[in-house]
Amino acid sequence: MTTGRSRASSEGSSHDDHPPEPHPGSAGRALKEKAAGVVSIATDVSSGRRSAVEVTREALSRIARSDPGIGAFLEVTEDQALAEARVADARVAAGEKLALAGVPIAVKDNMWVAGRKATCASRILEGFRPPGDATAVARLRREGAVFVGRTNMDEFAMGSSTENSAHHPTRNPWDTERIPGGSSGGSAAAVSAGMVPAGLGSDTGGSIRQPAACCGIIGFKPTYGRVSRYGLVAFASSLDQIGPLAGNVADAARLYRVLAGEDPLDSTTSPEPAGNPEEALERGVAGLEVGFLAEAQVEGLDAEVAENLADARRAFRDAGARVRDISVPRAPAAIAIYYVVASAEASSNLARFDGVRYGPRADDSNLLSLYVESRTAGFGPEVKRRILLGTFALSAGYYDAYYGRAMRARQLLLEDFERAFGQVDVIVCPTIPTPAFRIGEKVDDPLTMYLSDVFTVPASLAGLPAISVPSGLSRGRLPLGIQIMARRFGEETLFAAARAFERAIDFPNDMPPGVLPGSGNGKR
Amino acid sequence: MRHVAALARLRVSEEDLPALTHQLSRIVSYIDQLKEIREEPRSEPRLSATPLREDLTLPGKGREALEENSPRLLHDHGAVPRVVGGVKP
Repeated sequence: MTTGRSRASSEGSSHDDHPPEPHPGSAGRALKEKAAGVVSIATDVSSGRRSAVEVTREALSRIARSDPGIGAFLEVTEDQALAEARVADARVAAGEKLALAGVPIAVKDNMWVAGRKATCASRILEGFRPPGDATAVARLRREGAVFVGRTNMDEFAMGSSTENSAHHPTRNPWDTERIPGGSSGGSAAAVSAGMVPAGLGSDTGGSIRQPAACCGIIGFKPTYGRVSRYGLVAFASSLDQIGPLAGNVADAARLYRVLAGEDPLDSTTSPEPAGNPEEALERGVAGLEVGFLAEAQVEGLDAEVAENLADARRAFRDAGARVRDISVPRAPAAIAIYYVVASAEASSNLARFDGVRYGPRADDSNLLSLYVESRTAGFGPEVKRRILLGTFALSAGYYDAYYGRAMRARQLLLEDFERAFGQVDVIVCPTIPTPAFRIGEKVDDPLTMYLSDVFTVPASLAGLPAISVPSGLSRGRLPLGIQIMARRFGEETLFAAARAFERAIDFPNDMPPGVLPGSGNGKR
Repeated sequence: MRHVAALARLRVSEEDLPALTHQLSRIVSYIDQLKEIREEPRSEPRLSATPLREDLTLPGKGREALEENSPRLLHDHGAVPRVVGGVKP
């Protein structure tokens, strides 16, 4: 297991309807090196080898070159980024030790960055200017990070493909005819295409991990309560969590170390000490009990994904872990639970967008129609579907049959995980059930789209930390991902396992073919 | 569907109604699998209480930040449409 390429069986899989093509950029590969990572940039800028301004200019020029074909950004804030880079340089010159000195970061459009807009890729938040930084953003800024722009997303983080943006879809850098995953698809594509070393995403049911897997990068959702949600526009408050998207596990650990911590502005943040995930990175997995989720290894699992999972199992075993199957019996019910709980919370959270306080206001003298017309014009189809579903699940006569039942099932799922973590240290399953699908393929079929998150939603409902690590390429040269979950607040073990797996897999470090010259850029 | 849309303060056009109803019915049928889960007497959700913090007055974000998002200012205050006593369900 050192090639990073999944050895798929010859039985074709449903998503792959074309013969494998030769790598389109094998000649150009050497020409385009991947951008430096988070830790490497911070080290260089801290030591004076490079300046933050120089690093930021390089990121901006990579964005200018690659983004027209990808569409990862909604806005690039060049002047502000350069001003922030100058501040970082001055702080380094003054002798400050900064964990993220001069590191360019792309921020999903649902988080507040002072002086920038935050619109959740929705018309209903057009023109909204946040009154300051989100706590997560402030924590990165305190360590010298530079914010280069707002990234595209599914409107209000509702989606798995970034097609639900009110602006434009984002394309997968590995194949620009395909989705980058979602909802943090803009941040994932920007990192994957080498435009920035890292991005911030938010994850409610998989919105960091699933796009990370589709784009061949690392995506990490911390334990619920690790990272403050202050300044993150709420979708489902009992599930939402901010986390990093990055090119390697060590970079994600560095960002997480900076992001984690209690915040008086978010009472759900935990006082539990965050530990030091960076120190834990090289601990290895010798003797670690690694459980492979039994419920994921079922008939009907995509053949390439199944083969890739078997490779992952061998990789963990070869690295010294004790590997076994582990059952989380209620995991298959997670999508059903999730679409009740998340939609119910969304219908309630999004009630504040009524045309009175934010965004465009429908012109009407009657208050009820002002609400209805502002909301009807402001929200896109998927957001409306979720609001309707959530309103239904909470409505009189249906509340117990839907919301009540889902909450009880969520509790049972949580107990399943508790039992499982009595027997194993981490639980492993695929991140995505198939490689990235084609743009437009599932837009008219919401239920099928929802099932893209079948493997990521269980950890969300249980509040567990979970990370997606690239695990190989499909026959069509699309990334696959392996998800590792740990106990609540078990981030150190999680990062140790993720790093060991990353080293065992040796995922190709080439630039994805979709951003190479002559590879179909400009089709947006 | 019309009733739920009214509760959600959304308008669904006649044209969109059949497709939307079909999509939501499929989703609700899928969700109905939850009925198959055997519940145990103790399967009530354990909600942890939100911790309280000290009741302190802290500086706000400043008037300018708020004014920036106010479409209209009247006597130095954000002006919004009248929202009390206006809606008849």
